Amino acid sequence: MPSRRFSRPRAAVVVTAAVALLLAACSPGGGATTTEPSGEPVTGGTLTYASGDAEPSCLDPHVGGNYPQALIATQYLESLVSLDEDGEVVPWLATEWDASDDGLEWEFTLRDDVTFTDGTPFDAEAVAANIAHVQDPATASSTGYLALAKIKDVVAVDDHLVRFEMSAPDSALLESLSQVWVAMESPKALERSQEENCAAPVGTGPFVVDTWERQDSVTLVRNDDYNSPPADVAEATEGSDLPYLDSIVWRFIPDSASRYAALQSGEVQVIDNAQPDTIKSAESDDAIEELDAPRPGAANRIELNSGKAPFDDERVREAFIRSVNVDDGIQSLFFGTAERSYSPLSSVEPLGLSLPDLFTVDTDAASALLDEAGWDERDADGYRAKDGERLTLDFPVSTNQSIPAEQSLFEQIQADAKTAGFEVKLQPLDLSSWYGVLAENEYDLVSAPYTKVGPDVLRILYHSDSITPAPSGYFANLAQVDDADLDELLTQASAASDAGERASLYEEAQRIILEGYYILPLYDQQNHFLRSSSVQGLRAMPTVSTPTFAGAWLVP
Amino acid sequence: MRFRPTVAETIAGVLLLLLVVAALWPSLLAPGDPLAVSHADAFQPPSLAHLFGTDESGRDIYTRVVHGASESLLIGVLATAIGIGLAVVLGFVAGLGPRWLDFGTTRVVEVLFAFPGLLLALLFIVVTGPGVLSSTIAVGLATAPGYARIIRSQVRRTASAEFIEAARVLGRGRLWITARHILPNVTAALFVLATLGLGQAIIWVSSLSYLGLGAVPPAAEWGAMLAAGRTYIANFWWMTFFPGLAIVASAAAATVIGRGIQKRNRSAA
Repeated sequence: MPSRRFSRPRAAVVVTAAVALLLAACSPGGGATTTEPSGEPVTGGTLTYASGDAEPSCLDPHVGGNYPQALIATQYLESLVSLDEDGEVVPWLATEWDASDDGLEWEFTLRDDVTFTDGTPFDAEAVAANIAHVQDPATASSTGYLALAKIKDVVAVDDHLVRFEMSAPDSALLESLSQVWVAMESPKALERSQEENCAAPVGTGPFVVDTWERQDSVTLVRNDDYNSPPADVAEATEGSDLPYLDSIVWRFIPDSASRYAALQSGEVQVIDNAQPDTIKSAESDDAIEELDAPRPGAANRIELNSGKAPFDDERVREAFIRSVNVDDGIQSLFFGTAERSYSPLSSVEPLGLSLPDLFTVDTDAASALLDEAGWDERDADGYRAKDGERLTLDFPVSTNQSIPAEQSLFEQIQADAKTAGFEVKLQPLDLSSWYGVLAENEYDLVSAPYTKVGPDVLRILYHSDSITPAPSGYFANLAQVDDADLDELLTQASAASDAGERASLYEEAQRIILEGYYILPLYDQQNHFLRSSSVQGLRAMPTVSTPTFAGAWLVP
Repeated sequence: MRFRPTVAETIAGVLLLLLVVAALWPSLLAPGDPLAVSHADAFQPPSLAHLFGTDESGRDIYTRVVHGASESLLIGVLATAIGIGLAVVLGFVAGLGPRWLDFGTTRVVEVLFAFPGLLLALLFIVVTGPGVLSSTIAVGLATAPGYARIIRSQVRRTASAEFIEAARVLGRGRLWITARHILPNVTAALFVLATLGLGQAIIWVSSLSYLGLGAVPPAAEWGAMLAAGRTYIANFWWMTFFPGLAIVASAAAATVIGRGIQKRNRSAA
């Protein structure tokens, strides 16, 4: 008789593979012990940070300029000005500033006791070199480039006094300059090839880029000569020798389950892009604390590409927005960690305008609108059609830029839209393919985060000039809004020096954007961090909400 | 000889039968809509109302697993068919062709064989782009070299047998001999290969979907469900467990049946 054992090699391979697949993402489970937070900062130690964002291809945030770059660069680069907790501009590398009455000239007095970590002194020439670097098309900057678009010339008046000459008044200049995407780097380091500078940018920050193991981690070591925290931090930490940590290992763990498991097991001490369900379960875990830092600038929203059919018709845009129910999805998927937004701007922006009435679900109205717009046929699969062509919407999703809960929300939107007769084609793509699809204008719906300090982000996202790509090839006006009135309002607002006038101009601009059904606002750009309770002194920058480890320490 | 299935084979047979029913008439086993979103029911643990629980959009996982069978099974069967079809051509060319052709084909197959199968499939998908069709073809192509080698040796062995010699002496044509004598002698082995291969193909197809290279959302495909669930594995185990169980069970069932057939062939021979 032949043996009945189920252990022949081939069978064994098949079964083992199956089991391995099943267990592929099994988490090791938590074993961290609780430590009482102690008040006194402790010096030394290595902190491990796990980022779920895409690993930057360049550590210099001048190049391109996305949020993952900002996260890490906050640890080694510093800006001319910063914001305090109340959103007021405070001195950083610049101590004082003054604008001329016509708003066309700005003078900044610089600190005279700061050196870059390669020994180069920080002075007016360095500022000029940095602005030139951001504006140089060869740098391929997009975020920084757009933020500084109105600076025409930079003049080093003397060693520590620099003058910006503007092409037009810019009410957002200080907010723009506070961002890490236009932070100051050593001019000597900038002279190196872009490849070298990308691998190890040199700044004045609390840490220095030491090594970068691609696909794995970046090691940052303490800047022993650090003396330039922003004014508000300097005041609060008077007399202490910042930073406290010896080094930071900045790891890239794209899988959210593994990232959380690494935090639970104590392998890492801080993680970003925390999943809503893990934030919820961490609430009852004393060993893990949450830091919620909604990003400034734009709210997370779905842009409706008004530059081509079918969304070139406002009725179709309204029909789409009226037919999808995102409220319930946000509620169930985000476990109360995200609040629905009805504004183009983040909730941390004081000038945000919310118009919830525009976004009430009304499927009957949607149906009538589609009939009116000519999409009145139904094809065999139940989708609406016009002249035999199906009402199809391409929705490329960048898997690197949206957490799984958000992708699930998009699936629910897809299901809702199907009921209304829209065929939404979700395409999960990696970052570079996603940029490629956008550049080819092969999208009808897209969700793209955009972070910038202040309401000037509206000009970048919805001024028709932003349909023209920045040097990096990216264009920010993905809704392809092309409205002369809106352009005029945004231009005026960014030149307005009077606060009241500025506020009312931005309000009017947001009204046009919302009432034109160009966007479906979802929620603030989610920026949840989980930290082990052994990490103290961690805070998010009031500028672009990136965490800073300048004042962080590890409780032993 | 009387057919006496073992316990394992009986269970495997029932499982495969269920799988086929699920694939052909899913509504018999699960009348619901696998894509029906219900916000209020999100993340429900297994219960009487939802046997396997619900996922993040409140979709019933049992319904999705049942409806996912057709995708997994269809892709598995198609991929195996492509793999074996290709392998039969290669195997016969090598086994019956002139020496130089045999040499050439065998070397090509050996080079392909040097790559792990999944890598070959990934390579193909990189070129053609992700999707159900390309992942099916990819798995088919990737499994072909392994089958081709086995078929070639079977063909060679049969071709050198005495009764073939006899047929040749009797003046039968090459095609006639291939069709009437060699092919039937290889079929038995092919059948076993196909059944065993099916189990493997299901796993590979699921792996590709798991990596985001196969079925696109919101398709109810086992690998894709597994991938969607793993995000939530810390809190909602059932989202990964049941699709995973379906993959393990169907792959194991196909393997047990395949081995059973192989065993009987051998004892019959």
